[in-house]
Amino acid sequence: MEIFYVFAGITIFGLICYGLQIWAVRSTLKEDKKVRGSEDGNASTSQLFNFSSSQFQFPPVSILKPLKGLDDNLFDNLASFCAQDYPEYEIIFSLQDHNDPAFKVVRKIRDKYPEKDISVIVERCDLGLNPKVNNLIPAYKASKYELILISDSNVMVGNNYLKAITKHMQDPDVGLVSNMIRGIGGRTIGSILENLHLNSFIAGSVCFLDKFLKMPCVIGKSMLMRKRDLEVISGFKAVKDVLAEDYVIGKRMHGIGKKVVLSNYAVNNVNEYWGIRRFINRHTRWGKLRWRLGGIKYLSELIGNPVFMASLPVLLWEPSKITISFALLVSFLKVLGDSYLGTLIYDTENRRSGESPIHPFTHSPIHYLLSPIKDIIIGFIWFVPILSNTVVWRGSRYIIGRNSVLSPMPESNIWAWRYRVADAIKARLA
Amino acid sequence: MVMLLCDFHIHTKYSDGSVELGRVVDLYGQAGFDVISITDHVVNGDNPIGKLAHRFRLSVTAENFDEYIANVKYEAERAWSKYEMLVVPGVEISKNYITPEKSAHILIIDIKEFIPACLNYEKIFLEAKQQDTLIVACHPHYLSEFGRDTLFLWNNRDKYAKYIDAWEIANRDDVFNVISLKKYPYIASSDFHRTRHLYSWKTLLNCEKNTGSVKQCIRHNKGVAITLFRN
Repeated sequence: MEIFYVFAGITIFGLICYGLQIWAVRSTLKEDKKVRGSEDGNASTSQLFNFSSSQFQFPPVSILKPLKGLDDNLFDNLASFCAQDYPEYEIIFSLQDHNDPAFKVVRKIRDKYPEKDISVIVERCDLGLNPKVNNLIPAYKASKYELILISDSNVMVGNNYLKAITKHMQDPDVGLVSNMIRGIGGRTIGSILENLHLNSFIAGSVCFLDKFLKMPCVIGKSMLMRKRDLEVISGFKAVKDVLAEDYVIGKRMHGIGKKVVLSNYAVNNVNEYWGIRRFINRHTRWGKLRWRLGGIKYLSELIGNPVFMASLPVLLWEPSKITISFALLVSFLKVLGDSYLGTLIYDTENRRSGESPIHPFTHSPIHYLLSPIKDIIIGFIWFVPILSNTVVWRGSRYIIGRNSVLSPMPESNIWAWRYRVADAIKARLA
Repeated sequence: MVMLLCDFHIHTKYSDGSVELGRVVDLYGQAGFDVISITDHVVNGDNPIGKLAHRFRLSVTAENFDEYIANVKYEAERAWSKYEMLVVPGVEISKNYITPEKSAHILIIDIKEFIPACLNYEKIFLEAKQQDTLIVACHPHYLSEFGRDTLFLWNNRDKYAKYIDAWEIANRDDVFNVISLKKYPYIASSDFHRTRHLYSWKTLLNCEKNTGSVKQCIRHNKGVAITLFRN
């Protein structure tokens, strides 16, 4: 019974942290309302984002889009960047080879928007081990403007996105603007779990770190910065062998005294047809990354998973009335919390301002019932990074070091043999 | 001219596919395809297997054929305006029997009028020819997966080859190299039933993006290539 009380105590602590995360998300999202301040309910979009009240001239922006393969909803994701209500910007799609299936989609996009300044760069670059950075380097070289926006291919935005994020650049002390993310489009179990996790744990953690700990936690789905600031932190070459290039760029930017801003404009991360395996693989990789970046702080993620902590006594010790009831109660609270968070995130100001396009398929309330199952899966995944420090990324295996620095898997020694044996067994089983 | 990326063998919830028609069109459109054909099953109801297919609504029937074609045409207009993707209505006439040697599946692409699967082969082919459709013998050889073997047309190719415009040389992950040995016109298709089947063999055509040119290109077997579409 003592064990149960220990876990119950940790769970209650986790619930309090979770409550703070909800508060942080709410507070981040409310900032638009503060901007709107005295405006009445019929505020125009420009008023919502406070565009008209400043002398800010929207500077031209180079949007860099590194592409690799087909993401869910790729055509619409890319098209949403061509429909920006913004005076001057260019889009640079960057690929590593012509055989990439995304190349065909990009060509169609270019044909559909002939009036837009769109370039397609196909260039193999093997400067580093991070394929996204390798993809970005040629696009960066070709970019025309001082402001650059790096955006992932699975991101879909509304037409005020550029205005909403460039406004932060009015402040010359701002070095980097990143965005809140909301997962949308779940049509399979894997993608529903992914979106639930993005809209609860990821959104909560990012806002919590930003609000309460003032820690830059940049997620590379959307990063706006100035070239001169990027050059001060040694440009992309500094992160060419790093797995978490986004986090490291944010940290370095913070290190040189520049502000790293989390914009409350939520960008849509479209996940439609993910399998459960892909969900598990991604979060195992992200877990390994956070373990190598955060070290002992990684423990807080386990403590901050109340459903998993409340379920452990049931799963590992005694499934008695009290342990089961407690686990169910915590799960119920988590379902309520996640539903509330989901509602907050889907109902952000950029959505309420009538922006288009917004993906019609968000979450059905019934999906939130899967939230405790997702938390239990994530709880078990938490242990994997402690046992393994390697990741398979785009078909190659790497060892992750401190600050997520990648090094290639050695060809000889006991580690290489370990994975060769594992791969041979997997191949036999397949 | 850029080669057209095509898939001519796609099932939706109108038969045994797991994805609704509109979503299938979006899935292909978002992936940059140029030409697709929706080819839901029309199953013969003259034996217990066919009766089961009809019972569980896994077949397009004479009753819902017009609605099926109307919806495909509606989606075709949407696909053209949004993705510049050509969507051609079709069916897969599925003559199912217990043994693969007796079974045959035939794609009828650019169909206008309903063709019952209970007719004999000659009648089906003549009806299809009258409508100026493209006739494709699908998965005509041995497959690794149980239940998709349809060997009748291949085993009787001397008799039926004159009616058939093209043979499926590759279906999903399988390749039937015997077709190239016989020098028959060919296409490759995904036999799409689930979203993961998007990644499979596909046809590339060097022709204009309209139904007439596509049919002609395949029939003449010039400017046709296949590609393994992978992410």
